[in-house]
This record gives sequence, structure tokens and C-alpha cells, in this order.
Amino acid sequence: MNADITVTAEAPRPATLGRPVVRPQEPAVVAQTAPKVVIKDVRFYYKKYEALKGINLTLHDKRVTAFIGPSGCGKSTLLRVLNRIYELYPGQRATGEVLVDGRNILDAGQDLNLLRAKIGMVFQKPTPFPMSIYDNVAFGIRLYERLSPSELDERVEQALRRAALWDEVKDKLRQSGLSLSGGQQQRLCIARAIAVKPEILLLDEPASALDPISTQRVEELIAELKSDYCIAIVTHNMQQAARSSDFTAFMYLGELVEYDETETIFTHPREKRTEDYITGRFG
Amino acid sequence: MRAAGLYARRRAGDHVYLALSMAATVAGLLVLFLILWTLVANGLAALSTGFFTEMTPAPGSTGGLANAIYGSVVMTVVATLVGTPVGVLTGTYLAEFGAGSRIAPVVRFVNDILLSAPSIIIGLFVYELMVVPMGNFSAWAGAAALAIIVVPVVVRTTEDMLRLVPGGLREAAIALGTPQWKVIVSVIYRAAIQGMLTGVMLAVARIAGETAPLLFTALNNQFWSANMNAPMANLPVVIFQFALSPYADWQKLAWGGALLITVTILLLNILARFLVSWSNRSP
Amino acid sequence: MTIALPLISRRRLDRQRLQDAAFRGATRLFAVGVLVLLGGIVVTLAFSAAPAFERFGWGFLTSAAWNPVKDDFGALPAIYGTLVTSAIAMLIGIPVALGIAVFLTELCPPPLRRPIGTLVELLAAIPSIIYGIWGLFVLAPFLQLTVEPLLIDTFGQLPIFGPLFDGPPLGLGMLTGGIILGVMVLPFISAVARDVFLTVPPMLRESAYGVGATTSEVVNNIVLPYTRTGVIGGVMLGLGRALGETMAVTFVIGNAHHIRLSLLAPGTTISATLANEFTEALSKLYVSSLFALGFILFVITFIVLAAAKLMLLRLEQQAAK
Repeated sequence: MNADITVTAEAPRPATLGRPVVRPQEPAVVAQTAPKVVIKDVRFYYKKYEALKGINLTLHDKRVTAFIGPSGCGKSTLLRVLNRIYELYPGQRATGEVLVDGRNILDAGQDLNLLRAKIGMVFQKPTPFPMSIYDNVAFGIRLYERLSPSELDERVEQALRRAALWDEVKDKLRQSGLSLSGGQQQRLCIARAIAVKPEILLLDEPASALDPISTQRVEELIAELKSDYCIAIVTHNMQQAARSSDFTAFMYLGELVEYDETETIFTHPREKRTEDYITGRFG
Repeated sequence: MRAAGLYARRRAGDHVYLALSMAATVAGLLVLFLILWTLVANGLAALSTGFFTEMTPAPGSTGGLANAIYGSVVMTVVATLVGTPVGVLTGTYLAEFGAGSRIAPVVRFVNDILLSAPSIIIGLFVYELMVVPMGNFSAWAGAAALAIIVVPVVVRTTEDMLRLVPGGLREAAIALGTPQWKVIVSVIYRAAIQGMLTGVMLAVARIAGETAPLLFTALNNQFWSANMNAPMANLPVVIFQFALSPYADWQKLAWGGALLITVTILLLNILARFLVSWSNRSP
Repeated sequence: MTIALPLISRRRLDRQRLQDAAFRGATRLFAVGVLVLLGGIVVTLAFSAAPAFERFGWGFLTSAAWNPVKDDFGALPAIYGTLVTSAIAMLIGIPVALGIAVFLTELCPPPLRRPIGTLVELLAAIPSIIYGIWGLFVLAPFLQLTVEPLLIDTFGQLPIFGPLFDGPPLGLGMLTGGIILGVMVLPFISAVARDVFLTVPPMLRESAYGVGATTSEVVNNIVLPYTRTGVIGGVMLGLGRALGETMAVTFVIGNAHHIRLSLLAPGTTISATLANEFTEALSKLYVSSLFALGFILFVITFIVLAAAKLMLLRLEQQAAK
């Protein structure tokens, strides 16, 4: 459904402007896909505290980018900037630019509901709404589209199939979403997120509360969804990042230390800190 | 030797202290059971079919409390129907829109004062506001006084219950691009519905026995009346009047009414508690 | 170039914005309504009380007169009765309520905590008219026949306490009212006390036990000092209730507009005066004087409740740190 993505005039540029510190470079081998999200000098503040200290990087369409780093490094915060969900909380603000298809979503004029409908998010803990499985998935669709009941049924089924949940729930769509197991709930949340046909998927440690088998299913799902979406995933699980992502960004203390193709990061990291972290010497 | 003696004294002191605290608890429970026992012992005899079907009698003749029961039910229902939406919306403001607002803390403060304010003052207020302009005591005025008592109870529980809804659920709904009112009405209210119902039940329990605010508003009526613009009989005021009378028949009816009210209110309270613990148990 | 979902129309988006604004506006309107309500109560009471205050001035507060025939009114006996009954209620209610809170937090076997706590809280659910009827038919005769004669024979003979327990045992009077109020405020104080006791960090409690302190020493030296503001807040909350309580007191206070030192003597309170006389008040000045009493009651309870609220808020902020 995102076949008509156009490359925008805003080409991603190497993030070398600004402060004279060593800047993370663009991945040497740029993927063949279009840049989808361009993050320019994003800073984030919790009241006075600066949690992101000027982040520059580009997320590519139809690719998975993993964010790794120790707790509190700002990886989740960065994700929360991308759909501006931080605005729920007074005292939190972001500066800089986040260009999605060339348009700065941090602009004051941006309609947040529209923005968020276009950018799906899945959270650390499963968050099924207190309603039936069917209504959970249909919830977002009903917000922005007027569909006939049969069309809606079809969309719900489609989303549940993509989330690899259909076979398990097709006979109990009217049951409460809360009746599912943790792993199923998380896949339900993924189904809910993709049902509205977003272009970007943000996954905030989506498997951290799940058992290994559910985790594996979610990882398979990510690999499968990659063909359609630009995916950003935050994880503290190094293997998960190595397995399921194309690019990896290592963050530390609110800064982007290194950003490269996943294989490069895990085999030949340029930075000592990156190497220390992925080999488990700290963090 | 001395040290041992000191320790023995400390231990003895501790035992006395704890025995006193236990005695306090026993005393509290004893009073509760004494009151309930008195009500059952005196009230049970009054309960007959006539008690529920006949009108309040003139002194010396037999009768029942049908008109008073009807009046209490009607005014309680009207007050709940009026007070609940006001309380829910105010509670919603405090929980969902209050952050960063300057009036929210003031409203919360004032609401807590109203929660404990003497109910007889509410009676005075409604007397001046409705009874004087209308020229007569009325069931509307009684219901209005009770509604004013409902509001702060519902505000308080609504705010508390909405705050208990996990922030993740709110974020998940927002992240789908859901407009805020829809997040609250379709997701947050659903998640908190049991707790909010509890608040309403507690409010009903509170006003079902309120006497003071009705003295100057609904007053009393010896006869059956369904006219909301006229004085209306109600259980608390009838109990007040009959209990203080010198007539044995009236006193007996007062005990019956007291038993009826108390059992209803205690059941509402216990039910409300079960509702809360039940809703806390389900995920 | 712009973010646009193909399927959403401009109109739909505008409608959503409008609905959001309307919902937010509605909640805000009612929130402001709560403020208006309090303001309305104050203004109404003050307005209706104005004739009495104009006629009697500050003397209204200090006059003991209450003569509907001569249209001469003073608030002192009602204020006195309100304060005395509430004081008795606190004397009884505070130690018992704290005892219950200590029992529930320190002594009670965990499986019994909830049921016993719930039962105590049910005391708060019983309507005040039930307390009144129980007080009139059960407590008052009991006090009259057993407790009051005993008090007269013992404390009544003492030099300083004597006047407090003077006169015949009537069963109805300020002592009975105070005792009933004491029972009624119990659940409010004990619930707050229990909740604030539970805010004591377990580490603190454990370190005290760790040096060999007994339970009573831990409560007296650690728990109570740590939760002092909260406990006082709970007590003030109970006091606010006691001051404004109407029906229970009306049944047992005796309804006499005079000031007697003896706690056994009948008296009246502001709320009991209102309950008894409001619908029978004929002259304009009489009604206005009753409103003036109501205004005074509201001011007193407002101050007490506001203080309670502020103290509990302070404890909350302390606990949040």
C-alpha cells in the first residue's frame, strides 16, 4: 500500500554540522530504499534535563533500524519524539527537525492525530483496550475511515493475519482482548497498529515482557512486516537487534554514538564504547 | 539484672499498649454490632406487607411507609441522575486535563471541602435557592440538595479511578491517532467503569440516608404524592418525625424504616467494595 | 509533500477537533461549576444572614439570648455546644481511632486486615439519623442509669472536675451528643491514620525493630512522628465532620439554649438548632439568625477542613519525595 512513496527533495545529508565532536556518519553503504525519516539535531528536554543531545540520523523505508544502549540512554525517548507522544506530558519538549517525507513533524501546525495515525507504535507492555478482540483492531480503522461492515471485517482479518494472530483468535473475535495471553496481546497490539495502514512502525521493546516463544514470533513478524514499513525498534536485547534489524544505532547518555549497518556495528564497530557495550563489558 | 528488669518493663508496657489497641478495635466493632442488633431487634417486627403498601398513618392508627419509600427512591434516583454526569465530567477534567492547569488544584481542594461540608448547610442553600423563589417545599428541591451531595463523591472517585488506568493504555490509544475525547470515552472510561460505578453506588448510599438537607427542602408529606413540585414524604424525615413522637405505632414504623435504610446502605457499600476488588483482580 | 491519509476528509478532521474542544470545554465548565457552587453557598448564606448580623453586630457571637418572642437572638450557646460536643467527640474518637489504626497495621493477622478494616469503615456508612435513633433509645437510657450516676458520684465530688459532672443524670445532654459524635468520627480518623501509617518506609520500621524496639516503641517513636501531619490531618477531618453533624446530635442533645458548665446538662449545637427550629421560624429576623448560625458553622468547618486538607497534602508531597 505504500507503493507510491516518493523520494523527497530533502535528501539526507551527513550529520557533520554543528558541534566539533565526532559525529556519527551515515552508513557507508546506503540502502537502496528511500529515506523515510530524517532526524536533524533533535534535542529533548524533561523540564531542564537534556535527555537527547542533538541526534542526527536517517531511517530508511522498508528497513528495520534498531536502537540499542543502556537504560536511560534516550533510545525510547527518541522513539517517543517521532510520533510526538511526549506531548501528553507537560514539561517535556523537543527541538530540532524530524522530516517525514520531507515535512517537519515537529512544526507547531502539525495535526497530531493525523501524524499518529500515520505512525504506528507498539509498547513494551501489551496494551489491549478493554473491549473485544475485533473492536481492538477495528478501533483505529473506524477513526479515519467509513467502511461497510464487510469491508471492516476484511480489514480486521487482514490485520490479524499479518500479525500472525488470525488462526488463534478467529473463533473468538467477540471475546475481550484482555482474555488473551501476553504474547497474543502483544500481537493484537501490532495488528491494531498496522490495521490503520501506517507508514512507519515504532516498536518500543515490544518483546521485553514476553516469553522466548512469543518473542520469536514477534521477531518473525517484524521480519515479515519489513517489506511494507519503515520500522524503528528499541531493544535492550543485543541478539534481537542483530537478528532482526538492517541498521543499528548505539546510543549512550543522550547521544548517538554510532550508526551503521547492523552487520558492521556487530562485527567492526568504529567506537570503543560501542564495542564495549555489544560485548557486554558495560551496560 | 537491671537490664533484665528494664526489658521486662518494656515488654509489659508493650503488652498493655497492644492490648489497648486491640480493645479499641473490639470496642469499635462492638458498637457496630450493637447498632445493627438494635435495628434488627426493633425493626423486624415492623416489617410486614402493610409496611411497604400502606401510607404513613395518623397517630394511633396503623399504616406503612409506602409513600416515604417511594419519595426516597424518586429523590435519590433524580439526584443521582443529575449529580453523576456533573461529577464524572468534573472528575474527568481533574484527571485528564488538570495537569498544568491552574484551576484544577483549586477545584480539587474545594471539592474535598464540599465532600465533608455539613449537609445541613446544603439544605439551607437549596432552601434559599429553590424553596423561597418557588414559594413552597418540593421534591425537586429535595433532589437538588441530594444532587449537590452526590457531586463531590463522584468527582473524587472518578478522578481516583481514572488515575488508576495505566498510562500505557492512554498512550496506546493516542498513538493510534485517536482524538482525545474518544480516548477518554471509548478507552479510559471503559477501563475504569467498575471503579466509577463504585463511586456512584457510594454516593447513592450516602444520600439514601441523608436527613438534614431534606428537612428544609422536600419536607414531608403524610399522603401519597408523585408531584415533584410539592412536598414529598421520604424515609429519613419520616423516621426523624416518628422516632421523636410519643406514639408507639409511629416509633415502631421508625425502627422499621431505620432497618430498611441501613440494610440497603450497608448492602450498597459491601457491593461497591466487591466491585472494586473484583475490578482490581482482572487485568 | 504533506502528510495526508488518502481516506480522511478535511471535514472529518475539523469535526474531530470540534468534538475534542467541546468535550474538554464541557469538563472544564463543570469543574468551574464546583467552584461556583461553593461560592454560591457562601454568598447565599451571607446574604440571608445579613439582617441578623446588621441587627446584632458582633454581639451576635457573644450573646446568649435566644428569644423568638422578643426577636432577640445570640449564637453563643449554639457555638458553645458545638465546640464542647466536638471536643468530647475528639477526646473519645482520637485514642480509639489511633488504637484501631495501630491494631490494623501492626498487630492484626493479614487475612483479617481487610474484613476488620471494612467493618470499621462501615461505621461511616451508617446514616446519621440511625445514630440518632440508637443514641436516643439505647445509649441515652444506658448512660442515664449507669454511667452518669457513676460520674456524678466519683468525678462530681472532685474539686476541679466537679462542676463538669454536676446535676441530675438526664441521659440527654452534651455528654451523650459528644459520645455519639465520637463513635461517628472514629471511622474517618482511623481510615486516614491507617493509610498514613502505611506510608512509613518499611526500611525505617525494620531498622527500628532491628535495634530491638518493641512494637509500641516503634509506633510511638517512628511511625507517629513520621506521620504526624497526616494523623493531624485525619483528626481535623474528623473534627470537621463532628462540628457539622446534625441528626445524631439533634436526637440526644436536649435542645436547650443555655450554657451550662456541666457536661450532663442539655444544650444545643448550631446544626441541631437549625434542624429543630428552621421550619418553625416565623419572623424574618428569626430565619435570618438561623442563617447566621449556618454561616458561622460553615466558616468554622471550612477553616478546619481546609487545614486538614493542607496537612494531608503536605504529607503527600513529603511521601512523593
